[in-house]
Amino acid sequence: MVALAAGGAVGTGFVAFIAVLGIIPRLVQLTKTVHLLIFYEWATILGVLCGSWLGSYGFPLHLHPYLLGLIGLFYGVFVGMLAAALYEVLNVFPIIARRINMEGRLRSLMTAIIFGKIFGSIYYWVIFF
Amino acid sequence: MEKTIYLRLRHRIVVEPQAKVRLPQIAIIIAPERIKAELHDFSIYQIKKEDKNTVVLDAITVIRKILERFPDHEIQIVGPNHTIIEVQLEKKKIPLIFFLCVWLLLFIGSGISIMHFHEDVSMPFVQQKLFHALTGRHVEKSLLFHIPYSIGIGLGMILFFNHVFKKKINEEPSPMEVEMFQYQQGIDQYLLMHENEETTGADSSD
Repeated sequence: MVALAAGGAVGTGFVAFIAVLGIIPRLVQLTKTVHLLIFYEWATILGVLCGSWLGSYGFPLHLHPYLLGLIGLFYGVFVGMLAAALYEVLNVFPIIARRINMEGRLRSLMTAIIFGKIFGSIYYWVIFF
Repeated sequence: MEKTIYLRLRHRIVVEPQAKVRLPQIAIIIAPERIKAELHDFSIYQIKKEDKNTVVLDAITVIRKILERFPDHEIQIVGPNHTIIEVQLEKKKIPLIFFLCVWLLLFIGSGISIMHFHEDVSMPFVQQKLFHALTGRHVEKSLLFHIPYSIGIGLGMILFFNHVFKKKINEEPSPMEVEMFQYQQGIDQYLLMHENEETTGADSSD
């Protein structure tokens, strides 16, 4: 009973978090597939279920290592979108760009952030830890 | 005889310092033929030095000025009730070095912050566990997993911002552009309330 309640709290919290960041609306907007929204919702729910089950019990699935690269890529895309969404929620960008009169160069500043993330991440995995 | 002048104020215009702002600059005009030429030359506001970089012209000011000149006409305002006049003070060219500094700030900052994030959520531990769960093998680190993950972060951000550098993925504005637009609107709203002589109660009888 306690576990169920705890799960409910965490689950609603997760959904609220995802909703605030607006990743799903963004994907829907990019792919123009509003009518498939329900599937995306279920994909998220199933993902969370599988994730918590895998995390708790985690008996080996014996996947081929190359398949892992693919999973890693999708994993990264999601984290990347999460990071980008956070930048947006924090509202840093419009203010920086205006303060220093660089509206025209917004794009290259965005490139700076993106490359910073990629190199930071690779450095972390290859050398740092 | 037709005596109505219709005006649709523009939301925002940009002018040179010390410029004379003429009516057609701030509004789209529909007026009777005989006064049209005169209206097109009608000077509505003279930018002064103390105006700094923004002036808000209220519709009521515009009406008053026009009525002074054409007392027997009726004026109809269609659309926005204010025009924000932005005085383009000398735009300083941003030195390249300054731009590079900001670029480096963002580059290094975001790079370090993703490392902090990985450390914060114990990513190595989770990924080791995940690797074991998926393949049934124990490894210290698997570059096969980590490199695609790292590139994926970049792809995800590009996807979210809707930019592949110069090229847009589709026609819709990116969240960043919407964000910039909202920020600009917030500033405009603020200016309308604070720079507007009609609403702040300052004397505007000049």
